[in-house]
Amino acid sequence: MPEHVEHAESTDGTAAAVPAVRVEGLWKRFGDQIAVAGIDLELPAGKFIGLVGPNGAGKTTTLSMVTGLLRPDMGRIEVGGHDVWRDPVEVKSRIGVLPEGLRLFERLSGRELLAYTGRLRGLPGAEVDKRATQLLDVLDLAGAQHKLVVDYSTGMRKKIGLAAALLHNPEVLFLDEPFEGVDPVSAQTIREVLVRYTRSGATVVFSSHVMELVESLCDWVAVMAAGRIRAQGTLAEVRGEAPSLQSAFLELVGAGGRETSGSLDWLGGTR
Amino acid sequence: MTVLTPAGPAVPVAGAPALVPVFVRLKLSLLRNGLRRSSGRKAAYVSSLVVTLLLAAGQVAGLVLLRGHAQAGTLAVLLVGVVALGWAVLPLFFPSGDETLDPSRLVMLPLRARPLIGALLVSSLVGMGPLFTMALAVGSVIAVAHGAVATVAGVVAAPLSLLVCVALSRWVATANVRLLTSRKGRDLAVLSGLVIAVGIQFVNFGAQRLGQAGGLSSLEPAADVVRWLPAASAIGAVGSASDGSYGAAAGQLAVSVLALGALLWLWHRSLDKLMSSPDGSTLAAAEPSRRRSGTERSGFFGLLPEGRTGTVMERSLRYVVRDPKTKAAWVTALAIGLIVPVLNAVQGVGSVYFACFAAGMLGMQMYNQFGQDTSAFWMVATTLSSTRDAYVELRARALALLLITLPYTVLVAVVTAAVLGDWPALPGVVGLSFALLGAMLATGALASALFPYSIPQDGAFKNVVPGQAGLAWISILGGMLTSALLSAPVIVLTVWLHLAGHQGWLWALLPVGAVYGTFIGWLGIRLAAPRTARRLPEILAAVSKG
Repeated sequence: MPEHVEHAESTDGTAAAVPAVRVEGLWKRFGDQIAVAGIDLELPAGKFIGLVGPNGAGKTTTLSMVTGLLRPDMGRIEVGGHDVWRDPVEVKSRIGVLPEGLRLFERLSGRELLAYTGRLRGLPGAEVDKRATQLLDVLDLAGAQHKLVVDYSTGMRKKIGLAAALLHNPEVLFLDEPFEGVDPVSAQTIREVLVRYTRSGATVVFSSHVMELVESLCDWVAVMAAGRIRAQGTLAEVRGEAPSLQSAFLELVGAGGRETSGSLDWLGGTR
Repeated sequence: MTVLTPAGPAVPVAGAPALVPVFVRLKLSLLRNGLRRSSGRKAAYVSSLVVTLLLAAGQVAGLVLLRGHAQAGTLAVLLVGVVALGWAVLPLFFPSGDETLDPSRLVMLPLRARPLIGALLVSSLVGMGPLFTMALAVGSVIAVAHGAVATVAGVVAAPLSLLVCVALSRWVATANVRLLTSRKGRDLAVLSGLVIAVGIQFVNFGAQRLGQAGGLSSLEPAADVVRWLPAASAIGAVGSASDGSYGAAAGQLAVSVLALGALLWLWHRSLDKLMSSPDGSTLAAAEPSRRRSGTERSGFFGLLPEGRTGTVMERSLRYVVRDPKTKAAWVTALAIGLIVPVLNAVQGVGSVYFACFAAGMLGMQMYNQFGQDTSAFWMVATTLSSTRDAYVELRARALALLLITLPYTVLVAVVTAAVLGDWPALPGVVGLSFALLGAMLATGALASALFPYSIPQDGAFKNVVPGQAGLAWISILGGMLTSALLSAPVIVLTVWLHLAGHQGWLWALLPVGAVYGTFIGWLGIRLAAPRTARRLPEILAAVSKG
């Protein structure tokens, strides 16, 4: 990991490190629906970064475009100083991805899936098997390693997906809702692995709509709503005066003072 | 269901009259939304609609022309009978991807089976298939109806036969949805699908044999049976009424009406059971998984090359065995690829060249490679960063396919030649098969890159999502025609050798076909690779709709 950071600094030539991810003027529209409306982002390297926002804010769309899985209508994306769409060779080997809502090769066992992914990444077979064994152990999947992924629970799927994303030791890891539908025990395991991974100098970018989680994990936050970035910066900067990230977030997305008691008066009334 | 339905007056009662327009509208919006996704899909859908309309129109015209012919009744009854059989089998093999008809999607709604049946029946009358069947039924009635009574019978018979067909199809689909909710059930369904596929072949040969024995009149005994079977019996009734045997006509109409009632009852029962009993998928989770050896790439897979080639081949081959959709496609292709040439040969009517059919059937597995991955294609996409990677990926998939296909093609050719005792033609047939296989791999690789489509994994026998059916058929049909054209040089050479009396040189077709097939396959993959590498996000979007 650290050698990549040095490399980035030397090409830049200045004191400021190359950001892990730089996004400029990114747009994506699906039919009449504008999912991402011209966002600019600069995510520093070596940080635990949270991309937060309500459902439909454009988090998944943004992450898909940043990881090369969805073609943007407009805009520029760089990962570690390399253009994602012009220089996929440089970018794809440096990133790990865990998308949300896409399948895995579920008819492989957990171990076979890791063996497959690692070899596709061009790692030597023996190394893949060694790393797979360790990852399966750490993520508490060793007992289920020969079970087909199709029979895994949600938490196990997220963990095997995470293992597959980590296998080639990427510089930047993109996780879309890694804790969604995951039981507390698996969530804790995932957290521990991610914290250890960022400590080595790697960058984690993950999306979530659970503010408490983001607040406890991240040191850098970008807030997204309705396809735009509402705020980005260190946790303290984004939180500002607000008592918690949750209230700062509600303020930012303009949902702070919404009153719901007027309507829905039938709810809980006489049946 | 019953437990969940509150008895309070605040809950609006979902009545049958309100449900029908809702479902018809749902079906129409699903069709429309499927089309809205891209203009290419729209074009494909519209062209398949046009083809269906042309076929239907041609059929009606043909039947109208037959009016007055002595065998018109025989033919009309048999046609409707075959179409009814088709309706029974269709949901198993060429599903329309009709989400309105998937009862498992409706389980959570407070709907009772009885009104639901009506709504589902009416909404399943919307579409190309019903249109085609209605055209056939109307054409048949025109062909057979003579006299006022027969005309009246015909007015009843045409919609009746359509309703029987649709109800039959829905019942088969619903009864099988239950089977497929568990993983184990899905594997069983693969076998049932195979039985039907094989059955069709036998029916096909029976029909051929009858045809040879003396034209339409030899079909009369079959028609005499079929005209009393539901769906076709409605048309049979029109014929009987024309002949003046009103008793038989009434009986035949009654058979269809009773069958419709019975099918609706059966369907109702399946639906009721489906909507009120626990999902079978929970049973699958309790199933113990098979233990596998802890070491990777042991045994056979250890022989595959390292790197992407071996890795991709290994996964492809594992999927042939483990993924029900892939397995079903393979088993069907293998079975039909063997049955068609060999059965023809056994009947003494075939030629050794029929063995090329196996190459065609198996080569088809190269089509929609990435669709077979489903949205898991992202795992491939994140590791493909250059044209070279895409080339190796496609080549590995082709190699995995060849690992099964090459020996199998040779085997089918040998068996066919043995049955016919036509050994001299064998090398030529194998050569021609190789050329065809190469052409199929080439067009399959290109179609995979250019026309990917989703294969739904959740539903029963669905192979295409709504709105992509046209795309799928056009891509496969176009690919097969192109493959035939691409193998033309070898075909022409074969024909020439036969016509010019150079039978002694037929063996030369083996090396020529092998070299040509290798070349054309390589070229196709070569051409498909940059297109795949360029279109990764588009392919992922296209295959993620299941």
